[in-house]
Amino acid sequence: MSWINVCNEANLPLGTGIAAWVAGNPVAIFNLGRDGLYAIDNIDPATGVGLLARGLICEMEGELCVASPLYKQHYRLTTGVCIEDNTLIASPFDIKTEQGQVLVLAKA
Amino acid sequence: MAVSKPKLMVVGNGMVGHHFIEQVCSLGLNKIFDVHVFGEEPRPAYDRVQLSKYFETGSADPLMLTSAQDYQDWGISLHLNTQITAIDTANKTLTSAKGQSYVYEQLVLATGSFPFVPPINGNERDQCLVYRTIEDLQAIQAAAANSKVGVVVGGGLLGLEAANAMKQLGVKTHVVEFAPQLMPVQLNDKAGELLCSKIEELGVSVHTSKATTAIIDGEAALHRMTFNDESFLETDMIVFSAGIRPQDQLARVSNISIGERGGIEIDNWCLTSAPDVYAIGECALWEQKIFGLVAPGYQMARVAASHIASSVSDTKAQTFTGADMSTKLKLLGVDVAAIGASRGFDNAQFVELSDNQAGIYKKLWLDESGTLLKGAVLIGDNSDYSRLLDLYLSQDEIAGSAVELLLAGAEDEADLKDTSIVCSCHQVTKGDIVDAVKAGSHKMAEIKSCTRAASGCGGCAPVVQKIIDQTLQAEGVDFNAGICAHFEHDRQALYHLCQVEGINDFDSLMRQHGKPSASGHTYGCDICKPAAASIFASLQNQYVLNQDSGHVQLQDTNDAYLGNIQKDGTYSIVPRVAGGEITPAKLIAMGQIAQDYDLYTKITGGQRIDMFGATLSQLPEIWKKLIDAGFETGHAYGKSLRTVKSCVGSTWCRYGVQDAVGFAIDLENRYKGLRSPHKLKFAVSGCTRECAEAQSKDIGVIATDKGWNLYVAGNGGMRPRHGDLFATDLSSEALYQYIDRILMFYVKTADKLQRTSTWMDSLEGGLAYLKSVVIDDALGINSTLEQQMDLIAATYQCEWKTSLEQPAFLARFNEFVNPSDAPVADANAYQRVREQRFPNIKDAGAGTIAIKDITEQQTTKDEVLA
Repeated sequence: MSWINVCNEANLPLGTGIAAWVAGNPVAIFNLGRDGLYAIDNIDPATGVGLLARGLICEMEGELCVASPLYKQHYRLTTGVCIEDNTLIASPFDIKTEQGQVLVLAKA
Repeated sequence: MAVSKPKLMVVGNGMVGHHFIEQVCSLGLNKIFDVHVFGEEPRPAYDRVQLSKYFETGSADPLMLTSAQDYQDWGISLHLNTQITAIDTANKTLTSAKGQSYVYEQLVLATGSFPFVPPINGNERDQCLVYRTIEDLQAIQAAAANSKVGVVVGGGLLGLEAANAMKQLGVKTHVVEFAPQLMPVQLNDKAGELLCSKIEELGVSVHTSKATTAIIDGEAALHRMTFNDESFLETDMIVFSAGIRPQDQLARVSNISIGERGGIEIDNWCLTSAPDVYAIGECALWEQKIFGLVAPGYQMARVAASHIASSVSDTKAQTFTGADMSTKLKLLGVDVAAIGASRGFDNAQFVELSDNQAGIYKKLWLDESGTLLKGAVLIGDNSDYSRLLDLYLSQDEIAGSAVELLLAGAEDEADLKDTSIVCSCHQVTKGDIVDAVKAGSHKMAEIKSCTRAASGCGGCAPVVQKIIDQTLQAEGVDFNAGICAHFEHDRQALYHLCQVEGINDFDSLMRQHGKPSASGHTYGCDICKPAAASIFASLQNQYVLNQDSGHVQLQDTNDAYLGNIQKDGTYSIVPRVAGGEITPAKLIAMGQIAQDYDLYTKITGGQRIDMFGATLSQLPEIWKKLIDAGFETGHAYGKSLRTVKSCVGSTWCRYGVQDAVGFAIDLENRYKGLRSPHKLKFAVSGCTRECAEAQSKDIGVIATDKGWNLYVAGNGGMRPRHGDLFATDLSSEALYQYIDRILMFYVKTADKLQRTSTWMDSLEGGLAYLKSVVIDDALGINSTLEQQMDLIAATYQCEWKTSLEQPAFLARFNEFVNPSDAPVADANAYQRVREQRFPNIKDAGAGTIAIKDITEQQTTKDEVLA
């Protein structure tokens, strides 16, 4: 496992998501400014389509989520677990910034 | 050997006959009996009460109460075009005109009535017609097409309905009444006079105290009607509507007892003199009375069904004990109501209100002591009807002075006792509605389906809505429930707040009026953010992806990337093709682009071309090429105006009377870009053949030889709805004015994701209310609505053009922040079928995934995605 440098911090749009390739896997990165950076699998577990980065950021009962653009299931940004169906999980990735670079921890 | 079921035969498939069948099915009798229904007409039961609606739509469809399919589903044999000519009551058989014979165990006669044609010499001449069936209406329509002047003989309830129909057909209409006043059965002289003057104001000439002596050849018109006072009237067509007579011929020839003046005699169980033969509705005579209204007929249907049920099960039969003949209706647009002894009686006390200014007349008849209501007549304003009817039926003592009853407003309309009948068509009490609301049916549509209230003539709908609201309030249910967990307001309230306080960003809206989370976040959710985005756009019409006000982060799936997302995460692209008109050069340009990017192409239902399969990062380059070729965005991704469909119109079509395409293009260009609670579809037809299917659109325009007819709130899709005829023969200027107002009023008052069709159904007062707002400016807001629409039109921008001009906005179309790290693309992602490219996803799709109803509206999957 290793930290992959995906981009310059300035390239992350604020308040919304963008996808990144991390060791061949698509990851959805959400830049919520003061509320931090989040990363989960970009593949929507309900459909197998890579588009969670394009979802709307929501707050459901105090938890930050992204709503899948296709059928609007909500995935928690912290754990990736779907609010409507906890068997659906967009697995989370560790993410950090170092010296202005955005690093995501690749999975084996 | 299978035991065959006993046979239940019903002769007549009018409103009452059909209601009887509904009772049979709800009691499960269709499982016990082999049920056969015989109707003389070519179609199953339709709504005769609202017959003149046929001319509004030119179709029988909106009048239909049922279908042959319904009967099939219920396991009932429906024999249409079948006249029964004889009953052998001894051997219990029926014979049809075609010579077929049927055995019965139980028989119900629901043969209704026929129009009375006075015995006048010449009444059989051409274009001398009656008003009862759809075929009669078709004959009236055909006659009207070559008539300038028409006469209705009969100034009663039905006569005035017929006059309304004739007037709608553009014929100069006269009403000839034998009595000295209109509606002599229900109204006193003063009420008759006011009704007469109101109807004459509408351009209908009324002639009272006239007995027609003969109909002969006319000089200036087809007929001349001569009267007993030596005067005459020339006319091209005549409709007799001078009352009805019970259709008792079948019973008569079968030796079933008939009253002296007609009508099949029945007892309290609706049984006739023949064993196991019932009669219900207008053909039946109960205690020497014929009941010529639908509600008593329905009561008889219930009684007969319950009596048959009691013979095969352990249930108790109801009895018929007479019916109230009070009635409330709109005649030629004039409110008329009559309750009880509406013409007064000897020694009656009365209070009377006559307001010539407002055109209102009300008179209440009281008993000798002045404390009990015995009758009432209302002209021009019948909003008190429910309350007065309740007081009349209950015979409660009038609290306070009777004159106060005349002045109390409609606010108290729903202030009834639980036992009060609210819907007289289906005998639904206030208590029934309250119980249904408490059991969880909070919406009008649910109440209609579970109690049937307001599903008959519909006259009680406003009262039913009030009862729903009152009950919810009393139950502590917040019936103006907020749109989501973050707001306690509905969309209308949020719109108002944003407008009045000038709020144009989500953070302010949330902090000032919403519920930020404990941690102070104002992220909102996928319900409130797109709703707010739509409101901001309707009010300010800024670029929807703007960063300054943060609107970009509020946009739902499709608006967020100005494309329509598809199941594989790619987008489809729909440029605007206003009115469906496109040049060959543009077609070629579009085809070239689609070929270059290997896009799947399909013609849409809205006369445009949809190109599928563009990736997020391809969208800007494809749009650059489209815009260079002269296209602009089609807003297919927005809750906004989609298309204005058109037929060919008068420029090429040999039938067209107006330039439908040209007008559709103008309309599309005025309203394109308007963000609204849901998508909007228009259509323009160049003649009455209606090839553009305008009546199924939110805004439908149909050309006439004098201008344009405007239809509103039509819908196709899952719940089709014919548009309501809003106004006729409008000039182009008036049409724009009305559409401006209607659309902005919809934008202002509709719920989120509410199409115009459900909006119209939910508007208290419905079409009449919308007309009063838009045509009469009842709310005094029309100039504001027009200014707002002018602002929207003036600030229109093609969102793709704006995007392409500002590279900062284009950054969001980079799907990956590090595209160079992409692995090799999956070669199996697509397949080719019929020479085009399709995604290769097998299991993904709505068919295999449980979709949460995120809208809580009757929104189809397609609408969520569209």
